[in-house]
Order: sequence, then C-alpha cells, then structure tokens
Amino acid sequence: MEFAFDAREDALRREVQAFIADQLTDEIRAEIDGGELGLQFGPKAAAFFDKVRARGWTGVSWPVEYGGQGRSAMEQFIIEEEFCRAGLRIGGAGTGAPAILASGTEEQKRAYVPGCIRGDIIFAQGYSEPGCGTDLAGIQCRATRAGATYVIKGQKIYMTAAHVATHIFLMVRTDPASRRQAGLSILLVPIDTPGITIRPLWTIQHDPPAPRGTTYGEPRTNEVFFDDAVVPASCLLGEEGDGWAVAQRGLNLDRVGARRYLISVMRDEDIVNWLKQDGEANRALRADPAVRDKVAELWIEGQVCRMLTMRSMSIERRGGDFVYEGAAEKVWAPEHGVRATEAIGQILGPQAQLLSSSPMAVQGGVFAHNLLGAFQSTINHGSVQVMRDQIARKGLGLPRAGKR
Amino acid sequence: MDVLPDEDEAAIQRSADAFLAAECTPSLVRAAEQDPARWSPALYRRIAELGWLRLCLPEQDGGDGVPLTHLAVLFEVLGRHLAPVPVHATMVGAIAIARCGTPGQRALLPAIGAGTLRLSLALQEPDGRWSAEALRLQGRRDGDAVVLNGGKGFVDGFRESGRCLVAFLLEGAPALALVDSKAGGVTAVDLVTTAKDSSAALTFREVRVAMADVIPGAAPLRLVMDLAAALLAAQMAGAARMATERAANYAKDRLAFGQPIGSFQAIQHMAADALITIDGAQLLAREAIWRLGAGLPATVEAAQAKAFANEKCLIACRIAQQIHGGIGFMAEYDQQLWYRRVASWAHRCGTVQEHRKVVAAALLDQQGPVRLDVPLVAE
Repeated sequence: MEFAFDAREDALRREVQAFIADQLTDEIRAEIDGGELGLQFGPKAAAFFDKVRARGWTGVSWPVEYGGQGRSAMEQFIIEEEFCRAGLRIGGAGTGAPAILASGTEEQKRAYVPGCIRGDIIFAQGYSEPGCGTDLAGIQCRATRAGATYVIKGQKIYMTAAHVATHIFLMVRTDPASRRQAGLSILLVPIDTPGITIRPLWTIQHDPPAPRGTTYGEPRTNEVFFDDAVVPASCLLGEEGDGWAVAQRGLNLDRVGARRYLISVMRDEDIVNWLKQDGEANRALRADPAVRDKVAELWIEGQVCRMLTMRSMSIERRGGDFVYEGAAEKVWAPEHGVRATEAIGQILGPQAQLLSSSPMAVQGGVFAHNLLGAFQSTINHGSVQVMRDQIARKGLGLPRAGKR
Repeated sequence: MDVLPDEDEAAIQRSADAFLAAECTPSLVRAAEQDPARWSPALYRRIAELGWLRLCLPEQDGGDGVPLTHLAVLFEVLGRHLAPVPVHATMVGAIAIARCGTPGQRALLPAIGAGTLRLSLALQEPDGRWSAEALRLQGRRDGDAVVLNGGKGFVDGFRESGRCLVAFLLEGAPALALVDSKAGGVTAVDLVTTAKDSSAALTFREVRVAMADVIPGAAPLRLVMDLAAALLAAQMAGAARMATERAANYAKDRLAFGQPIGSFQAIQHMAADALITIDGAQLLAREAIWRLGAGLPATVEAAQAKAFANEKCLIACRIAQQIHGGIGFMAEYDQQLWYRRVASWAHRCGTVQEHRKVVAAALLDQQGPVRLDVPLVAE
C-alpha cells in the first residue's frame, strides 16, 4: 500500500499547474467558453492547445507508435485532473481511441489514434436509441453488408458530441436475426457520410447557459438519423457480431478517470471555499454546527470518491483486472455528487436556485446549474441501478433475476 | 500511488484469514462471551506464537519492524472473524510506547510482542466524550510520582491487561500513564456492551504512579487516539464485510416466491450499497494507518475513517440482518454475532459527530483554500 504520488508524479502536477497559470489567459478562456464542448474555439485557444500537445499532454498513456507518450495512466490522470480543474478538457477522446487501441487493426490504429491525440479526430458515442439506453442489447439501428460496404439505417439519440465530432463510434445490429448482445457490431463512421442527419436536442441547461465547471452543463445534445448511409466495410472495428465486447473494452476506463472523479467532488471544495470567504453570511454559516457537520460529512464522502478512484487507478496499473470496482465507483461518486449538490443548496438557501443570468446568483449560478445537471451523472454511461446489479453479481456472486 | 495490498501485506492477510477461519470459529466467539473473563487466552497465545503482536514493533524492541500497513490488514481479518482478544488496545499502546516512550518504558515491548503483557486504554472519561479537551482525570505531582484521582469509562480489556494506558491531566497538561492494572486505589466496574466483551469503568483514588511510567505531552495522546480510531475502523470494515458476505451466501440459498431472494434487485441493491461503503471504510482506514506508519499527521484521516465506518459498517451489518429476516434475530443463529459487535464498536473511539467536528475544524477554521487531494492538518 502506498497512499502518495511519487516524486515524478508530483513534479508533473506542479509543471501542469504552472503551465496553466502561466499560459491560460482570460482571452483564451473567453474563446474556449464561447465554443462548443470546449472543442470549437478561436485562434488564441487553438495556439494554446497546440502548446499543450507539443508537451505531449494529450494521449499521454497511449503507445508511442501511435503518437502517444507511452507513459502511465496515472500521469494521464494527473494531467487531465489539472486541466479539468481549470475548466478545460484535453485528451479525453472518450470511448474512441481506447477501444481502437484494444480492438482495431494496425491500419485503424494508425488512421485514428494519432488524430485523436492531435485533436483532428473527435468521436461522438452512438449507443443510445429512442427504444434503449442502459440496456444496449435492445439496439435496433441496422447495418447491412452490401459488397464492400455497410448500409446503415436507424436512429440514435443523446449523441452529445455529434455536432462537433468528426466520427461516430456507432453501435449497430449487423445480424437482423440476432437478439440481445449477439449480432451487434461497432462501426467507425465519418460524420459527413451522406444520409446522416443531426438534429439538436436542447437540455435543461439550455437557457441560460451553465457556467464553466457545472456537472453536465451541456446545453445541447443530438438525435442522429441514418437513412441508408453507406460506409466502407473497413469501418468495422473488431469482428462483426463482436460489438458488445469491443465496446466493453473501451468502457471500463470511460467510467473512471479524472473527469468523472472531479465532477462528483468539485462542489465539496466549492462549498468549503465559499464558506471560508469573508462575507457576513459566509461567517455565520461556517459557525453553524449543523452546517459544519453536514460539510464534514460531504467532505468524508468526497474522500471516499477519491479513494475509490485511486483504487481503480491502482487496478489499472496492475493490469486492469476489474471485478466490480469500476461499477462501485460509478455508483458512489455520482450519487455523492447529487447528495452534495442538494445539501449545498439547503446550506446556501434561496440564492442556490438562481441561474447564471439572475441577479444575486451565487458564484455565477454554478450551484443552481448543478442542481439541473448533477443527477445526469447517475444516468449516463450505465445507470447506477444497472451498476448495482453488476456489483451484486460480480462482487457478491448473487444470481440473475429468474435464475436458480 | 498504489492503494492495493502489496505481496507482503496480501500474504499476511491470506495466512491470518486462513488461521482465524480455522481457529476463531463462531463457537469460540460464543464461548468467550459466556466466559466470565470475556476473552480467549488460548487464541491470544496462538496469535502471539504466530508473531502478529511483534510484527510492527521496532526491531530494537524485539519486533519485526514491518510497516504499519500490515497491521491494517491484520485488523481487518481480526474483525472479520470477531477475534475475542485484546489486540486492539495492546497494539495501540505498544506503538505509542515505541514511538514516544523512554528506554525504560520501551523495555515493556518484548513482553508485549511475546503476548505475556497485555495493555488496555483508559482514554475517555465516564461521560464517554472522545476528545483531548474532555480530559478531567487529575494527576498531582508528588516527588518522583504522580497521584491520580478521578474516573474513566469504556476501558476495553481492562481485566486481562497488565498495564493500563491512562490519559490524564498532569497539572493541567495532557499526559499518559502506564498504570499497573492491579495498582492499589484502582477499582473497576464491568460494563455490559452489545458486544458482550470485556469493558469496564474505572475509579482512581490516590493512585500513585512513578513519573518513570508517565508519557507527557499532547502529541502522544493524539497518536494514541488516532491509532485507536483508525485501527478500530479497519476492524469494523473487516467485520462488516464478513457480515455482508454471509448475507449474500444466505440470499443465494433462501427461496421466496419460487426464487433465491438474492436474485431480487431490492436485495441486490442493498447488498451492493453495503459492499461499496465497506470498501470506502476500508480504504479510508488504510490511508489513515499508512499515514500513521509514515509518521505523517493523520488526525483528520483517522477521524474521517472512523466517522464513515461508524455509520456505514453498522448500516451494512443491519442490511445483512434484513437479508436474513427473522432468523437473524435468533440468538442461536451466528449472524447476530457480527451485528452486535459492530453496533458496539461504532460507539467506541469516537462518534460520528465527534469525528466530523475534527474534520470540520480542519476544513473551516484554517486559512486558505482546500483541495480534496491535499491532506488537511488538524489544529
């Protein structure tokens, strides 16, 4: 057991912090905040991200032969954490690159991974459909093999990055006779393929916009229609019919990591630091025994989030042999984020409901917008209910419903 | 950063678990409860023979000098099997003596490591408050001795201890005294806890203790309290995990509505919540113990571990009772052994609110912004 970062990791963290303090000007911030999902921005921000990439801070843990640095997952975690704390997303190619590294052909790895690191390739995740979300085995979107192509027909929903993405990491049913997980495949689909239509779906963070750092502050997601969209058969990732396993390989690390950890615990720090400010209300609240007890309770829960994240990173370091631990983190951290958000609202009082455009909003309305967004983290990427099913079965050996 | 046990720690864990699974059966636990002494000298002897008691003591004091994290996994296993032996108080006291004691005091350590000298801890006053500020027991200097007058409550394992580590005020300042448990002027009244183990309330009337047996200062008392809270949290996590595993096994076999009850999501989700929070308590306790072993400040980490364990390990054991239904309430069925002990341990070495106060003070009463991954230091 070792509950501390090593000297090299500490030095890296300081280096990243110094870089951000030095290079991230208000002008660049404004450009990034004006973009979409931290991805579309002006020339100053682009130059900033060029410097970030020049330091090798995107795709840090990915193999050198595909443009990465071949460094540890912990180093990547540290870099991503510091950028997330500054309100920036880097290197988070989500499901795309890790799954391609795990299941792709040599050609696919060379075609996609360096682009993901450079930021030229951005994947949107095409899993959910109107008729299925958490239970992806219900997927109906079809891809039919026709010679050297696939013809895609169907609909996807909640594809949050579709309007800024270059590609879709698309889960489709390739065998029409198949049921449940069998017969699913993953296609890497260029977003500009004719026959694809993207329509916005506006979230409850849409108007007014959520401030930086809000948990699920995205104003927009998308529904995407495929009307006989034709892609080359070479877009297939892994084996045809093996899509479930291909996606799983990319998912474990998507449920853990710096961003997921931080969105669940940022409010713990925010409320303590707000209470420590010099105002009359702050002083009165921080002397209130009920507030002090609640804040300490939340802080301890936040420490458990940190510990579960560090456990996942430790498992990853030892080869990634997860049993139920990723699912445990995916239940505890998002639910803690929700509990903290709701408790903080009650500590702050009526001001906590004021959105970003309101007079008297606290800290730009982040606490109010978090009330609108925090619970979303208990739903996406596997709902906490399904995660609990997995923990009970894998962690405690309990049987599936209806089985004896 | 690697929060998982290393090879050595895992080896200790495996061998201790195998040993206690065979030797510390529920019937041994029950027998200890029924015995007037309320502990198992035979099991303690075996544990001493295996070398567990000297494992984390310094080599110069006859110990093996391995890192304190080994004790973290050992306490988890002791809790898992509800071992009715005074290892907790003895190890907490021994480590404090090793760290803060004089050469004369350290001369006690070989006997502790060999299992022939056992310690108890008299830290709380009869009011039971877990705080250095709550100290009332008075020590009056009299030549090269100190004379103790006052009371103590919740002294676990007093009857079986040779020395009792007593927290007191030495002319207004916190101090610890290694009092001979048979010393004249000390009277003990047995308490009956939900664990039905050995616990006592003490009265000190003109008890003379040589100054050579005193460890003065607030820091040694702080260390003792942090160690006691963190190691007990580890023990609770171990017990709660076993209670949960037993409940899961029961749920695989017990049928209702034509199915094993373990296949119902209502049962699965309760059990999953128990497992997640037990993991949390275990990790918090391990972090606190790792920091104590590394000589780092750990008051906040020990407080957060014990606050979390108090609440979540008891809930986990209660969930295990719920899964068992009526049979869990029956004295002759073993499950209740885990529930009763965790219900007791959740009230020792500080309550949820007392430990949260420590965390709140470190968070709110000091200058500067906080960050979740930057350790807080208690004032």
